[in-house]
Amino acid sequence: MNIIEIKGLKKDYPLGDTIVPALRGVDLDVAEGDFMSIIGPSGSGKTTLLNVIGCIDSATAGAVRVGERDITALTDRQITEIRLNKIGFIFQTFNLIPVLDVIENIEFPLLLMKSSAAEARGRADKLIEEVGLREYAAHRPAELSGGQRQRVAIARALVTNPDIVLADEPTANLDSVTGASILELMRRMNELEKTTFIFSTHDANVLKYARRIVKIKDGLIEKEPAPA
Amino acid sequence: MNLILTIAWRNILRHKGKSLVIGVILFTGAFLMTVGNGVISGMAAGIEKNIIDGFMGDLVLISDAQKSDNILLPMMGASIEPVTAYREIKGILAAQPYVKRFLPVGKNLAMVLDESTTAPGYAYLLGADFGEYRKMFPDNFTVLEGSYPAPGERALLVPTFARDEFYDFYNIWFLPAGGRVVKENLKKEALANFPTLNLSTSVVMMGMTSGLNTTNDIRFPVTGINRYGALNQIFGHFCLVDIESYRECLGYFTAADMAAQVPREEKKLLELEGSDLDSMFGGEEMIVSTAKKAPKLKAEAPKEAKLAGDGVYNAVFIKLNEGEDYGKALKELNKALAGKGVRAVTWNKASGPIGGMALIIKGALFLFVMLLFCVAVIIIVNTLTMAALERAPEIGMMRAIGAQKTFIAGMFLGETAVLSAVFGGLGVLAGIAAVKIIPLLKINTKNDMLQLLYGGNFFNPLLSLPDIALTALQLLFVTVVAALYPMRVAVNITPLDAVSRD
Ligand SMILES: Nc1ncnc2c1ncn2[C@@H]1O[C@H](COP(=O)(O)OP(=O)(O)OP(=O)(O)O)[C@@H](O)[C@H]1O
Ligand SMILES: [Mg+2]
Repeated sequence: MNIIEIKGLKKDYPLGDTIVPALRGVDLDVAEGDFMSIIGPSGSGKTTLLNVIGCIDSATAGAVRVGERDITALTDRQITEIRLNKIGFIFQTFNLIPVLDVIENIEFPLLLMKSSAAEARGRADKLIEEVGLREYAAHRPAELSGGQRQRVAIARALVTNPDIVLADEPTANLDSVTGASILELMRRMNELEKTTFIFSTHDANVLKYARRIVKIKDGLIEKEPAPA
Repeated sequence: MNLILTIAWRNILRHKGKSLVIGVILFTGAFLMTVGNGVISGMAAGIEKNIIDGFMGDLVLISDAQKSDNILLPMMGASIEPVTAYREIKGILAAQPYVKRFLPVGKNLAMVLDESTTAPGYAYLLGADFGEYRKMFPDNFTVLEGSYPAPGERALLVPTFARDEFYDFYNIWFLPAGGRVVKENLKKEALANFPTLNLSTSVVMMGMTSGLNTTNDIRFPVTGINRYGALNQIFGHFCLVDIESYRECLGYFTAADMAAQVPREEKKLLELEGSDLDSMFGGEEMIVSTAKKAPKLKAEAPKEAKLAGDGVYNAVFIKLNEGEDYGKALKELNKALAGKGVRAVTWNKASGPIGGMALIIKGALFLFVMLLFCVAVIIIVNTLTMAALERAPEIGMMRAIGAQKTFIAGMFLGETAVLSAVFGGLGVLAGIAAVKIIPLLKINTKNDMLQLLYGGNFFNPLLSLPDIALTALQLLFVTVVAALYPMRVAVNITPLDAVSRD
């Protein structure tokens, strides 16, 4: 079953008097539980595509279905609900809440969902274990390395049991060894939690972790090679 | 809610400098507001106490013909209508259980006559029986020079405040008869001119009334210089004079007139439209002098005066028993006095704008603090808006992972609310502490201007619950107003702001 179905997705950015077509008619289906990588040259539209799927940017034209819902015409409140309940984000720049410690950062989305404190802590405890940061539970993000922060971000993205986890160049700010370990962890979590992962990357080294690779160029998906 | 407050609180600690700036502003505003309110409440209470205990009692009876209730310092020096049925009123007052004590007085303006000045000056006269006056207001003033007059004595007490004013106006320094210049009591300017000081031991005054009767100019011997213990700046306008001389000066009938001080030919019954003179003036004849056109100094005042007894007054000052309800007492008193041509009013009304002075100053303080808070709001808005923009990636990330706009708004409001509760609360507490401590220091003053601010001779600020509530409300208002714009900025940060694109 497909968790994401995209048909004829276009995204134009106005730039002065002209418009920049970032996506020019993308068709893409993503199967549930997939571990998929989007690659392409700089400016090809990777970030734009992930942002539209992740409901943090809107489509100019086309249909985007995430889970059961078409997300192209929703109110801010509804869109935010979808981001909270269906999607997990891992950012290139880690983006944790500086005043919360590791465990609090992980449980933050659950508290936004109005889960009880005990429930949230239980689930966060499980995930902090899985990303190997148990002894850092009481540390603030500023006291962690880049790789550790990205682990926290992974745990936070998974804590709500989302349908999809999106990661736009999650390893770009990490050295290659750490980047590889992060991808390994994501892959493991994908198998453990059965969550669909989509990540973009420049780095050919991390591509080996992907189960499926989608190439994008000038705002269009290139024909995929036959599955390996 | 818990989460919002946790984040708000930790953000405050994280951005200590910014929080401190906002905190200090809120603390200062709340502190000033609280102390200011305390000072003004203390002033109002002081003025109330000093007017009641030291000048006019709780309630004042005035003539029904009197238009304005304000008889203390009426507008344009308007004259006070006479109260004529005191003989009957006296009995009624004495029969009221809630009335503790009462004192009939004459109270009007007199023109001070002096050959050397063309422009006339004025003084307020308060006429009363000295014995009765002292029983009513035992320690309200001290006699600095001369002596406290004996009951029935013809006498004039000039307060230091009035003496200073006379000096400014007439360049005359008044002394009690037989007294000597007391240097410590000299006004600064007078002290500079000490060797050439123009001294006088008597003053000529002519009563001022609104044309019903003609008044007389009387030479009063100054028998003493007094100083009110509190509020000399207000009470010091009034020269205390024996009621007999007062009536003479105002042209009210006096017993002394009966003793043929004024030739029979110069007297004539005053024609009053259809009213019965006997009842109007307590059964006594009203005789006025008509011969006088240009005021000229009389050779001397009557020597042996007799008390006019239950003659004409302008007001009756009434003290009520401790804790008596004004509304109830007023109602009962006015009922008991129906048809006697008088009405009872509260001290507050009778003292006119002086009673309301505290309210005006309170309003001014409110405006001042609001102005202060306006500046505070501008600084806080600036600081918070900058904070919102600085935290755009963080806020955008929160939005991206599912925080609603209301959550972001709550976080900002929470931050401001915590700051305002903590620092504003501390400011209010510090203000309350200051207001409680100041009276213990027993700060007192003889300075007339400071006495006005203190509401008496002691600096006794006090705070009521409504004052504190008002401050809290103002703080709340400032908090909400200050948080509004930064909140808008923060709420409009989009998830896209979390994703860095170069
Ligand atoms: N906010 C914007 N306004 C105008 N043009 C934009 C905006 N965002 C993206 N673009 C343009 O859209 C195109 C796609 O950009 P996008 O960021 O999706 O590419 P990308 O594949 O993520 O590139 P990179 O590998 O450098 O991150 C580019 O030509 C970019 O210049
Ligand atoms: Mg990109």
